[in-house]
Parts: sequence; C-alpha cells; structure tokens
Amino acid sequence: MPDSVLAGGVPSIPEFRPTRKSVFTDRAQRLRDLADGHAMQEYLLFASALARAQAAELEVYPDTPVPDPAQLEHCQQHGLPPLSIDSAQPAGWQQGLLRLLDALNQDALPPEAVRIANELRDEDNTALERDQEHMFAGAYAEIDSGRAPFIGAALQVHWVKMALRLGERGRSAGVDFGLCPVCGSPPVVSVVRSGGAEQGLRYLVCSLCASEWHVVRVKCTSCASTKNISYLFIEGSNDAVKAECCDECKTYRKILYLDKDNHMESIADDLATLALDMLVDQKGFRRVGPNLLLSPG
Amino acid sequence: MGLKLSRRQFFKVCATGLATSSVAALGFTPNAALAEVREFKLSGAKETRNTCPYCSVSCGVLMYSLGSNAKNAKQEIFHIEGDPDHPINRGTLCPKGAALLDFVHSSSRLRRPEYRPNGASDWQPISWEEAFERIARHMKSDRDRNFEATNEQGATVNRWLSCGMLAASASSNESGYLTHKFARSIGLLAFDNQARV
Repeated sequence: MPDSVLAGGVPSIPEFRPTRKSVFTDRAQRLRDLADGHAMQEYLLFASALARAQAAELEVYPDTPVPDPAQLEHCQQHGLPPLSIDSAQPAGWQQGLLRLLDALNQDALPPEAVRIANELRDEDNTALERDQEHMFAGAYAEIDSGRAPFIGAALQVHWVKMALRLGERGRSAGVDFGLCPVCGSPPVVSVVRSGGAEQGLRYLVCSLCASEWHVVRVKCTSCASTKNISYLFIEGSNDAVKAECCDECKTYRKILYLDKDNHMESIADDLATLALDMLVDQKGFRRVGPNLLLSPG
Repeated sequence: MGLKLSRRQFFKVCATGLATSSVAALGFTPNAALAEVREFKLSGAKETRNTCPYCSVSCGVLMYSLGSNAKNAKQEIFHIEGDPDHPINRGTLCPKGAALLDFVHSSSRLRRPEYRPNGASDWQPISWEEAFERIARHMKSDRDRNFEATNEQGATVNRWLSCGMLAASASSNESGYLTHKFARSIGLLAFDNQARV
C-alpha cells in the first residue's frame, strides 16, 4: 500500500499508461492461447502470426522522427496529440509492410491470403496511402477487407515505434477523452485494471499505438453520457468481457475486466469475442471501436 | 488528404457481415463462429454510481446489478464496492461500507412506514399518506405549543426548540439547499444534515 494511504492521503489517479515494448509479443502469445479450441481458431492463429511478425519488425524498424521538445510543448498548450494521425503522410511503413509480409509463413496461409499478400507486394505507394487514409478516416468499408489487417499491422508498428520513443512525454493532456492523447486514434476497447494504483480504474486502449488513458467508469466513451449505461455479456461466460452500451447514443464499446482474467489483451480478446459483437448488434447498438487486425468489410 | 469523412464511423460486426469481413476475404471460414453464435444468449448487468449512506465522509460506491435496462426488468444488486474513481475514497471502503450489500438485502430492512401506538409492543404498517398526515399533525401541534417568536428581552427569535431534524448523507447540493430552507423557515434550530460534507 502506498505511503500516502497510510498517512491518510488519497492517492492520485494515474492518468496515462504509455505503450509497451512488449505489446506485440504479448498480443501474439495471447492470441495463440485463445486460439486453442476456439470457433475462430484459424483466424486467431493468423492474427497471432501477424502480431509475432510485428514484434520482430518493431526490433528492426528504423527510428522515425518524433516532435522536438518545442513541438511537444506546442501540442500540450493546444491539446493536440503529438503523433497525430492527421499530420503529414507517414513515411517508411510501406517498407515495413513488405518485411511483415515476408515474415509470414506462406505455407500456413490459405491461398486467398497468399494472393492478397502478393498483391500488396506489387502495390505502389499511392494505393497503399489511399488505404491508410481510409483507415485513419474510419472509412473501414472503403478498404478491401482482405488487405486491411496487413495495412493496419504495418501502421501499428510505425506508431508504436514513435510512441515508445516519446514514452510519458507523448501524452497531450487536453485531447478529447474519446481519442488517444498520443496519436488521436479511436480506442479499440476499455480495460478495467486489476491491482496496484490502478485497481478498478478504466483505461481506454488506442487501436493504433496501444497507449492507454484513464476515463471514469460507467460513462459512455462515445457521447460522455452517464445515464442509462448497461453492460451486456454472453450468458454462462465468465463475464470478463462485456459490451458497455449507451442508451443515449445507441453505441457500445467492449470492456475487459482484468480481475476476472488477468491475461486479457485488448486486441486479442476483442477478436476472440466477436460473438458478443454479433449479439449486441442485434440489440440495435452500433460498435465504435475499430480493431485494425480485422475489417468488418 | 482530400477525404471528407467523419472519424465517428461505425465498425459494424454482425452475423451477416462476417462473410464480407477479413475472416472470409483471407480464406478462413467463419462458419463455426456463426454456428456458435446461435447457441449464445445475452445477459444484462448494470453498474450504478452512488454514495455510501452510513456517515458524513460520503464515500463513492459502485453497485452491480443483474437485469438489463429494459422497462419492468427487475434489478437485483449482487455486489457493491468502493468507486475507484471517487476522489474521497478511491475504491476503498470501511468495514461498514464494505458490508453494504447485506444492508441492502437485510431481512429486517424497513421497506414501508410503520407505526407503534402508545403502549403497544408491535409495529403496524401504515400507508405513506397516513404517515405524512400523522407526522405533520404532531409537528404542527408541537410547534403551536412551543414556538417562540421573541425571547425574554423581547428580541425576535422565531425558534422552535422542542423539535429536531436529521437528514441523510447521500444528498445533492440542491436537495441540501431545499432541506435547509425547509428546516430554517419553520424555526428548527436542532438540525443536522450529513449532506453538509
């Protein structure tokens, strides 16, 4: 227990959890563990292989320029995410994509996946940049759903690399609570943490750079309403993953409770619980959190 | 970039849509996942923020209940814990607060107004209407008998010292304001309201 508690003080809430170097390794491992006996086993193993390739790529990915202290200060003052996805066209991820594709074991992939991988290898930068722009604009239906996971994976490596270089300095405090304070992307899921100073606190996890930021519980992370929030889950599950549904704006985002299962990982456990999405969709709630390793088409 | 698209586009994952998703496009079969979904059923839960009613510290609590938001659905509270976001208690509760669930479900919990006549040993249920009537009657009679408009020196005091009032801790500023106005305007001086915190 922290000294401040014993002294009668109230510990402050850790507002930000920077992305981790092990994000792709952890994700790959979790996807692999989840795949065993899962109805989506093949896809989870594919995503695991892709995450493993991302982990290897992160090691060799060249250092991309990040904002200098003056620019970081400017972002702080104006509540702008320092590594905003709205800034200039990112360079280098296209080469990273090629290396990701090379790292995948072709023999383990279905013929369609191999064909799409080869197609991406021959693609020029303009076409790739168009996919990237659609992805960042949230126009998921505009990207070929077979290409999306590869594009998303390459962009994640680029942004995680930059976010790791900035660490704690990467967070701009004034960014709208529904967007990543580092890169301005929408979050994929909420995670309620277990243990330590973060016990019971909810963090949103960035779909792109995996940074995490604190938002109070029982609040819609899309429209900020605190009224009529309900939690839907699959009957008979360990209810470690629920859909946080808002009756005001009729949207939902998944929320992962780590006290129920401490091994959960945002993107992996989201992919492993698509059944929950399908059922919640039937209830008329619309999903707001993108997962870059899957396009709904 | 030349794209005029809202960031707030939806990411629709539905049973019919899985056939156009990355799963099918990359040559994996979504059939097992689709078959599985038909076996599943949704359950609903709620988390509600509230204030512990025990003392004037007014710790924040989160109450977990089963049952969806749907009208007429019966809500059943099954767990209560400290609100981790609350600036006063940051998720902690004292032993009394930690036992709030038993308080909620206590078999001896008062659920309706009850009345024990003079000399009787048993309590008998009465309606809210009757309860309000009786309380108002007693207060009015007592105030008529004991209200002091002036003191011995003739100064105006407008006080009613033979009656007191105690109000609850889980009150908003607004209800605290109204409670205060009510008590003071009828001359009550013996008045404590835990909403003072």
